[in-house]
Amino acid sequence: MAHTHRPESEIALRVKAIESLLVEKGIVDPTTLDTIIEAYEHQIGPHNGARIVAKAWVDAAYKQRLLADGTSAIAELGLTGFSSEHMVVVENTPQVHNLIVCTLCSCYPWAILGLPPTWYKSFAYRARAVIEPRKVLQEFGLVIPDEVEIRVWDSNADLRYLVLPERPQGTEGLSEAALAGLVTRNAMIGTVKVQPPEQPSTLAA
Amino acid sequence: MAIETSNECMTVAHAQYLLQNGVDCRGVSDDPPQFQAGDRVRTKVMHPITYTRLPRYVRGKMGTIAKVNGVYVFPDTMGQRLATKPQYVYNVRFAAQELWGPDASPRDCLYIDLFDDHLDAT
Repeated sequence: MAHTHRPESEIALRVKAIESLLVEKGIVDPTTLDTIIEAYEHQIGPHNGARIVAKAWVDAAYKQRLLADGTSAIAELGLTGFSSEHMVVVENTPQVHNLIVCTLCSCYPWAILGLPPTWYKSFAYRARAVIEPRKVLQEFGLVIPDEVEIRVWDSNADLRYLVLPERPQGTEGLSEAALAGLVTRNAMIGTVKVQPPEQPSTLAA
Repeated sequence: MAIETSNECMTVAHAQYLLQNGVDCRGVSDDPPQFQAGDRVRTKVMHPITYTRLPRYVRGKMGTIAKVNGVYVFPDTMGQRLATKPQYVYNVRFAAQELWGPDASPRDCLYIDLFDDHLDAT
């Protein structure tokens, strides 16, 4: 027998109840809430980070500024915002692979990457990314050779981190916009590499 | 001195301002940084019952200052609505084996941002 109505989860109901109370008591303005939700649903997201990465790939001087002072270089593109006030960009190379985590809670560069994925906030990722990053990356489908150094960045203070992934081979002819289209959210957290267009990543979700 | 938090309802304009500009967590200090890049440091062993940004897994460990990030307000006291206690934040590098023992990769490192009050000179 098919159910036409699925009850809302307990947590969703609880949030709804809290929201109604806050609005009723005049502590929260529902129009303000809508403004914030609208911004994260339609304007802010990983496409912002992808623009930064693609620009760094095609503009060597920009890349240098980005790695030296992420905050200022990102501000040049007008992409600064809430929870991305103090940015550090770390570069993946053939010798070094970077991975971002926040063991304390779920600190994340919201203005650059949007809201963090659920797995980023999970206890398992937060605990295991620091203890056994190689195993965690394998579970994302990424095997890092023993001779490559893994740098795990625990962003527990007020600085936020963004991985500058390696530009994939065979993308020399691509425009900046086309390059940006290859850059995934997870590549900017460091759990996958950016794939060339011929081999789309199966782990984009 | 307790820090007062506004109970005023956030307006649409304020939300838009925050989304665009964020919140600046930097502070001001007249003191020079205690440490410079390359200095060896040991994290404090402490178990406060209140909030701290010094995670247990890096307490009592030897690390190296990778970068001086500048002065920021101190969440350990801010979280209790006490003083802003501005101080330097350093990016500190720890060898994975220092944190997790010989089973960790000899190549891997952990980088974390820690405050003056979390660190001792060695």
